[in-house]
Amino acid sequence: MTGWLLFAAAAILLTLGGAFWRVWQGPGEADRMMAAQLVGTGGVGVAMLLAPVISWHALDVAIVLALLAAFAAVGFVKASSPDGAGDPEEAEPSEGEEGQ
Amino acid sequence: MTVLFDLVLCALMLLAALAAIGGRGLFRATVFFVAYGITVALAWVRLGAIDVALAEAAIGAGLTGLLLLGAVARLRRAGAPEFPVRAGLVPALAAAGVAGATGWVALRVPGAGGLWTEAGEALPLSGVENPVTAVLLNFRAWDTLLESIVLLAALLAVWALAREEEWEAPVGPPLHARPGGVLEGMARLLPPVGIVVGVFLVWAGASQPGGAFQGGTVLAAVGLIAALAGLVALPRPDSGSWRTALAAGPAVFLLVGASGLALGGLLLFPPDWAKAMILTVEVFLTLSIAATLALLVLGPPQPRRMP
Repeated sequence: MTGWLLFAAAAILLTLGGAFWRVWQGPGEADRMMAAQLVGTGGVGVAMLLAPVISWHALDVAIVLALLAAFAAVGFVKASSPDGAGDPEEAEPSEGEEGQ
Repeated sequence: MTVLFDLVLCALMLLAALAAIGGRGLFRATVFFVAYGITVALAWVRLGAIDVALAEAAIGAGLTGLLLLGAVARLRRAGAPEFPVRAGLVPALAAAGVAGATGWVALRVPGAGGLWTEAGEALPLSGVENPVTAVLLNFRAWDTLLESIVLLAALLAVWALAREEEWEAPVGPPLHARPGGVLEGMARLLPPVGIVVGVFLVWAGASQPGGAFQGGTVLAAVGLIAALAGLVALPRPDSGSWRTALAAGPAVFLLVGASGLALGGLLLFPPDWAKAMILTVEVFLTLSIAATLALLVLGPPQPRRMP
C-alpha cells in the first residue's frame, strides 16, 4: 500500500514536470501563472498521498497549500490591472479578446 | 518506491531553483520561485518536518508570491529596465561556496539523530506535547522572542521608506476591485475557512504540528485577501489599535518571560504553569505576526490619488 501511494505521488510529481515546462515556455504570462497554479494543485495531491505514509498531519499542509496557493494568482490579477491595485474585471467587458 | 519519489522530487526542486535564477525575465523567475516554494514544502513533508512544511507552504507558496509579483508589476509601471536575471560569475561562485560549505557542515554534524533524545526527555517539563513548540517557546524562548522583535523591525524599515507627506496616508496602494466580481467573491468565500484553519493551527500547535507563526501567516493571508478586494479599510501607520496589535506579541512575551523571574529566572517556565504561559504567549504572538506580515506585504503608506 505504501509503495502504491508513493508511486501515485511520484506520478503526480511527474505531471508537475509538464507544468514546469509550461512555466518555462509561456508564452503568455497567464500561461505561466496557471501552470504555477497547477503545481499548487498537484502539491495538494502529493501532500495528501504522503499523509498515510509519513504523518497524517501532512493533511494540514495540504489544507494550507489549498488555501494559499491561489494567492499568487490574486497577486498576478492585481498586477495586471492598470494601476496595479485594481482588478481587470473593472475594465469595460470586452468580447473574447484577453486584456494585456 | 521511496527512492523513485525522492529522485523525482529532488529533480523538480533543483529544476525550479535553477530556472528561477538562471532564466531570463523577472516574471518567469518569480513564478518559478513560487513553484520552488511548493516543492520545498513537499520535501519537508517527505522528511517528516510538518511544522516546517506548514511554514514553507504559507510563506513560500503564499505570501512571498504575492509580494514578489507585486514588486515585478511595480518595477514595470515605474519603467524600470528588465534587468538581466543572469547571475554574474562572482556571485555564482560565492553562492556555490556557501551552498558547498553548508552541505559539508550538515554532513559532518555529530550525532545523526539530532537533539530528539534531549528534547524528548525534557518534553514532559515543557508544558506542551509538540517537541517543536517546546523548543521554540520554552527551551529556546529567548531566540523566538528576539525573532518576533526582528519581524517588527522589518516592518519599521518598510515604513521608513515613506516620505514625510505620505505619512498621513493609509498603508499600501489604494486597493479596489469590481463589486460582485470574481476577486470580491473569492475574498468573501475564503476568510471564514481561513480563519478556522489559522486558529486551529495555533491551538493545535501545543500538541501537533502548527503554532503561532504558521497560524499567524494564514490569518495574515485572510486579512490580505479581504484588503486586496477592497473590502476592508486599510489602517494608517499611526493607528493606535494597529500599533498595539503589532507590539502585543513581543510585549506579552517579555512580560510572561519576566514573570518567570519570580519563579526561577527570565524566560524560565515552571512545568506546572508552562502550558498556560506558552499558550498566552502564542495567542498574542499570533496576533502580532498576522498583523506584521499583512502590513509588510501591503508596504509603506501611499497617498490616495483618485483617478
